[in-house]
Amino acid sequence: MLKNELFNNVVRDFNTGYWELHNNPDREVWSDQFYQNLGFEENEIEPNLDYFLTDLLHKEDIEVFRDNFFNYRNNNINFKQHIKVKTKDGEYKLFRCATNDELPVNIKAEINLVFFFEIKLEPEQDISKDNFYYKETAQMTATGSWYVDFKKKRSYWDFETRRILEYPDDYIPSLKDSANYYAEDCRQQAADCFFNCAMAGTPFNTEIKMVTANNRIFWVRAIGKAVYNENKEIIGIRGVFQDIDEIKTKELRLKKSLDIIASQNSRLFNFAHIVSHNLRSHTSNLSLLVQLIEDIDDPQEKIGLIKEIRQISYSLNTTIEHLNEIVAIHTNKDQEKKAVKFKDALQIVTNGIGQMIAQSKAQIKTDFSGLDEIDYIPAYLESIMLNLITNAIKYKHPDRDPTVELKAYEKDGKKFLKISDNGVGIDLKLFKDKIFGMYKTFHYNEDAVGIGLFLTKNQIESLNGTISVDSEVNKGTTFLIEF
Amino acid sequence: MSQIGLACIIDDDSMYVNLVKKIIEAKKLCKNLMIFPNGMEALDYFEALLTSLNKKCIPEIIFLDLNMPIMDGWEFLDNFTKIKNKLGKTITLYIVSSSINPTDIEKARQISMVKDYLIKPVTIEDLEAIFSNQVL
Repeated sequence: MLKNELFNNVVRDFNTGYWELHNNPDREVWSDQFYQNLGFEENEIEPNLDYFLTDLLHKEDIEVFRDNFFNYRNNNINFKQHIKVKTKDGEYKLFRCATNDELPVNIKAEINLVFFFEIKLEPEQDISKDNFYYKETAQMTATGSWYVDFKKKRSYWDFETRRILEYPDDYIPSLKDSANYYAEDCRQQAADCFFNCAMAGTPFNTEIKMVTANNRIFWVRAIGKAVYNENKEIIGIRGVFQDIDEIKTKELRLKKSLDIIASQNSRLFNFAHIVSHNLRSHTSNLSLLVQLIEDIDDPQEKIGLIKEIRQISYSLNTTIEHLNEIVAIHTNKDQEKKAVKFKDALQIVTNGIGQMIAQSKAQIKTDFSGLDEIDYIPAYLESIMLNLITNAIKYKHPDRDPTVELKAYEKDGKKFLKISDNGVGIDLKLFKDKIFGMYKTFHYNEDAVGIGLFLTKNQIESLNGTISVDSEVNKGTTFLIEF
Repeated sequence: MSQIGLACIIDDDSMYVNLVKKIIEAKKLCKNLMIFPNGMEALDYFEALLTSLNKKCIPEIIFLDLNMPIMDGWEFLDNFTKIKNKLGKTITLYIVSSSINPTDIEKARQISMVKDYLIKPVTIEDLEAIFSNQVL
């Protein structure tokens, strides 16, 4: 019973049902009007929370209402919430539920009250319709909503969040293990977003990889913003997850093909350049030679010059052969790959250069225990090994016999071959960009042609691999190939 | 017609160097010719000159190739620019390259000490004109 007369009148005029909360936590008093609004007689239903939650309240509203209610009862935290409550004839009515402080009128009651204001909808403004549109939008755009409540240390997901994350409808999200909802390599990103939002109120809108209940990793657009209370304190984060896996996968695929096209284009450009440059140097020499022959009167000298043509012709042929090799790489890359054992490929290489190895007293050490074979074009693997091993021997350190170490291994699902030597090394500060260029040589050796590493790189890249180099002058050089 | 004392070719293409050398000798374009197969050797030479400045050993004209092993033409230019004023003699430098890449040509234009960019093949007339200009 309300003690305050004024309050009584207001409530009566409001025509509103309410609950009185007494100190006994198991007892709420439901007002007459509350029964009337639902069409029940007093003895037809049990006036307690459990009955209300299980039998009267719409199941979508149960969780939030229960939390709100207990928070209000135990901690005096006021709330307002829209809920749907079942009437006697089995239909749901929409109520705006509010506690004392949320009332539009300024009246003080001495006990805690929960009011249920019935919301009368226009005929077309059916709540189920609203709900229907919300659900449709969520489903059609695969956008789920969520809320993290810092006070209660809980997070809430709507049905769509559960669906895109492949959790059952009754799944209760864990706040403690929330990092596990993100792919391992995205956990830092998620932590940064949430931390900044929680601490500084910085909203976030980002693309991130999440993990479903079935351990499927997929792309999500995660949008979140801080929720404040009236004291401008951040009490939670509200946001959405949108499943963008299909678009993102397409985008990544597109980006990958763009990268491939760009790298092919740059190789093609490079190749055109090489063709132009290398052929031009021979034709220029030829034309200079012709001028000289025409200009000189002494027949003896003329004959001497004509002999030079042979040298130019030879150089021109060599260049053309090199260019052919490069073209061949790109036409051969569709050759069938097959399982090649590193040991076998190396055997073929060392047989071919047995004399060179013996003469230089080179030692070749191998460790193929981590990975002993690979799907590759056998001829390429042999050519790559041949180039790198002969380089290691050719550019050996003058003070010591060459040692070449080959190690194949697998790391993070990727396959690698590492070839290191103890040779003279290359000054990477000077030559880093040029090391794999055509006709670039860095040593005074006479047989340095500058084609080997260029071909090696082209062969590796034509099969979508990469090669990198690390070297220290007088210590040695290491080439790392990622297949 | 008076003659240039010393010219210098920095180029790794021995065939080209031989032919130019023959032209210079046949046309008597200069008295002496210095040849370096790459930028590094040329730079070593000029740096050594700084300690014993003998003007007779400083060329009046340099023909510089771009694509060379060990030290290419650009790197040579970078280093040579730093020391050329200490040599105390005007040196005319031409880039002679088979590169027709517009970026190379533009880059060469930006360097004040490059008098001109010649695209290989050079002709006997080109060489004659360059050497006679130098004398005037």
